Amino acid sequence: MNQISLHNTLPLVFAQRPDNTSELWLQNVSFERGHLYLIEAASGTGKSSLCAYLTGYRRDYSGTITFDGRDIRDLHNFEWTGIRRRTLSLMFQELRLFPELTAWENVEIKNQLTRHKSEAELIAWFEALGIDEKRNTRLGLMSFGQQQRVALIRALCQPFDFLLADEPVSHLDQENSQVMGEVMMQEAQRQGAAVIITSIGHHMDLPYERVFKL
Amino acid sequence: MKLLWKLLRQHVSIGQLAGFFLANLLGMLIVLLSLQFYEDVVPAFSGEDGVIKNTYVILSKRIAAVSSLRGEAQTFSESDISDLSQQSFVRKVGVFTASQYQVYASLSTGGIGMGTDMFFESVPDDFVDIKWPASAASQDAGQISEVPIILPRTYLALYNFGFAQTKNLPKLSEGVVSMIPMDIRLRGEAGKEMRLKGRVVGFSTRLNTVLVPESFMRRTNADLAPSASAAPTRLIVEVKNPTDDAIASYVQERGYELEDNSLEAGRATYFLKITAAIVMAVGLLISALSFYILMLSVFLLVQKNAEKLQNLLLIGYSRTRVALPYQLLTIGLNAAVLLIAIALLFWVRDWYLHRLWQMFPALSEGSVNGTLLIGLALFSLVSFLNALAIRRKITSISRPK
Repeated sequence: MNQISLHNTLPLVFAQRPDNTSELWLQNVSFERGHLYLIEAASGTGKSSLCAYLTGYRRDYSGTITFDGRDIRDLHNFEWTGIRRRTLSLMFQELRLFPELTAWENVEIKNQLTRHKSEAELIAWFEALGIDEKRNTRLGLMSFGQQQRVALIRALCQPFDFLLADEPVSHLDQENSQVMGEVMMQEAQRQGAAVIITSIGHHMDLPYERVFKL
Repeated sequence: MKLLWKLLRQHVSIGQLAGFFLANLLGMLIVLLSLQFYEDVVPAFSGEDGVIKNTYVILSKRIAAVSSLRGEAQTFSESDISDLSQQSFVRKVGVFTASQYQVYASLSTGGIGMGTDMFFESVPDDFVDIKWPASAASQDAGQISEVPIILPRTYLALYNFGFAQTKNLPKLSEGVVSMIPMDIRLRGEAGKEMRLKGRVVGFSTRLNTVLVPESFMRRTNADLAPSASAAPTRLIVEVKNPTDDAIASYVQERGYELEDNSLEAGRATYFLKITAAIVMAVGLLISALSFYILMLSVFLLVQKNAEKLQNLLLIGYSRTRVALPYQLLTIGLNAAVLLIAIALLFWVRDWYLHRLWQMFPALSEGSVNGTLLIGLALFSLVSFLNALAIRRKITSISRPK
């Protein structure tokens, strides 16, 4: 997939708002493969809604969203499964990890599906992100910042053309978010993928090519 | 799959599943057992294998003191028979032909000899519940070497449980009786005589008489008593439905008599059928309810794990894949139920067959194939519906809002 486009898109709940100053809603905007984007937003401006639309689990918007020109409302269930597995990876703001499983199992449950990374590569990421000793800890017992790093590893262990990271470093200090940015960009560049990061203030220091104010 | 199961088994309620398991087991067992019991027991009543077979009644004219004194005929005339044949409840009518000559049978084994005066009767071959040996049909009266004879099963029971028991004589099985050769002497008009060998070839539950093949009867009557007329005293009637009231009222109206047990057996078979059907219906109902319990339990499970399932779908798991653990769980439970039900079925069947054999030594056990097939069909149907329902439930939680 090379392009994600929004045409006149607006969450239905915003339909009554008179003043639209957004650089995304009700505009014609495209995200291209291989580029780096930042979406800056105040809370309540529809950032998480956007992520939900792009991963196909919500449809409460007007206008059109297309993947390579195809309206995503027309995608079948099985096509969404393929997209989530091979084309578009999402790191959720609420993480959507499984607290019953260990950190390692949370990553493994995805990697078993995609068979994208070797065990050594995964361990290297755990080490780089400083959570190697937590690998066998049940996720529910870890801090949110630690969980964010697990979620990043899970998001990276699949092929993707677009990586959508919804507030990936909200609970991390400067140093850790720097490391996370490096790991993320390294894998995205290796795959030639686009990275779209959202943030409500504190964000990773990266060479963004375009910044949208939501 | 292991990780997926570790995740999705959260909230699995052992209590609910055990409840389903027991209920389903009970339902399945009742269904299979009623089917099998019916299959095994019906032959004991009807003397036949097979589920819906025809039933026979035997008719005679009532013997009343007055009519016998007057010398009135106790036989059926041609018009009696044709009138009976036209009744709606009748499928076929056969006549009993009695021997018009004297019969003396004797046997001698191991130095003990005994003999008795007796008689022969015959009915058309297709009314006999035992097959005549193939040789019987081809025999020519002049060269008959051995007469095949069928005795009522009750005679053997009478001997074994009455006579032999009190006289300390050995009990005889059907096989042993069949091996004893008999000498038979037939004496007809004008001193005509015929000496033959005889052999018991079977025991009938339907016909309460000493039977020989009809062809043999026709030839010997013609040879030994050419002038005697052989009007039938008894008729065998194949009826469509032994419980039909029309039979009883026709018989009463005409002053005929029914040989009791034939109709009773038919009735008993009919009641057995109804009872088996009711029991089976109860079994099916329990099965259906247990299916409902399982569905509720699985739906509750899916609902409790909805968030997990949704997350799995969002990280790229297909609906098929997340439905699989629950589908395998239910199919596994159903399969276990089927296997245990079959094991219990064989166990219970073994128990009742032994008791039945004491009552009906010659009872041949019915086939279990039909029952196993029904069990398998029930298992397949229930598993298919389970799998389908789970799939639909998961689809419903994955639908975009």
